[in-house]
Amino acid sequence: MDWLDQELKQALARKEPPAGFADRVSRSARSPRVMMPRWIAAAAAVVVVAGGSIAWREHQGRLAKEQVMTAMRMTSAKLKHIQGRVREVRQ
Amino acid sequence: MEGAGWDFDALVREHQSMVFSLAYHFLRDRQAAEEIAQEVFLALHRSRTDIESPAHAAFWLRKVAAQRSIDEARRRKRRPQVALEATPEPAAGGTPGDPMLGELLRRLIATLPETPRMVMVMRYQEDLEPAEIAALLEMPVTTVKSHLKRSLALLRGKLQRRGVGEQ
Repeated sequence: MDWLDQELKQALARKEPPAGFADRVSRSARSPRVMMPRWIAAAAAVVVVAGGSIAWREHQGRLAKEQVMTAMRMTSAKLKHIQGRVREVRQ
Repeated sequence: MEGAGWDFDALVREHQSMVFSLAYHFLRDRQAAEEIAQEVFLALHRSRTDIESPAHAAFWLRKVAAQRSIDEARRRKRRPQVALEATPEPAAGGTPGDPMLGELLRRLIATLPETPRMVMVMRYQEDLEPAEIAALLEMPVTTVKSHLKRSLALLRGKLQRRGVGEQ
């Protein structure tokens, strides 16, 4: 073994983790938390945003449909009224 | 792991410095190394039914610690935060055990690409033979030997340019 091998072994000698590391790991292992992977959280956020957007568009669509129906009902009532007046004039 | 006849807490105590140091020497970041070491042990706990023996656990811990460290380095694409030129120069012909030479070596190793860096850490931290490193990193032994040879030549060249090792 040459001097560089010896130096590398010394430079890369094992180091101890911070105090209490083993206890923290053991505690975590005994009471595991449910860890949600980041991609699931991101996917859930996308679903919520997309779902909210779709629901909003559907709501806007329903409002527009109701407005069109109301306008058609009003137009129909006016047409009936006009037809009635025309019939009266002819008679 | 208690069910398999050995004690998880004892395994953590026995291997904590190995797992932590693999991540620490590879990433040069104590906090990241601690987080990776904790993840690795918790993963071992979750996989305890697959572990056949304490020797298997040690192999598994080395392998997973190496994989997680490489993944973290690739994710962050971390480069040494202090330029090599800013490293204190050891005395010319650095003497064995010189702490500044040790720090320079660690910084030089940190500049290696991920795979040869992990090969060097396993070789010199864990004193593993090329065949053992090859098994852990799932690569041919010849590739491990090639990484070692090239990395050592690179280090020698950089040290010689700094006047280190000319004895």
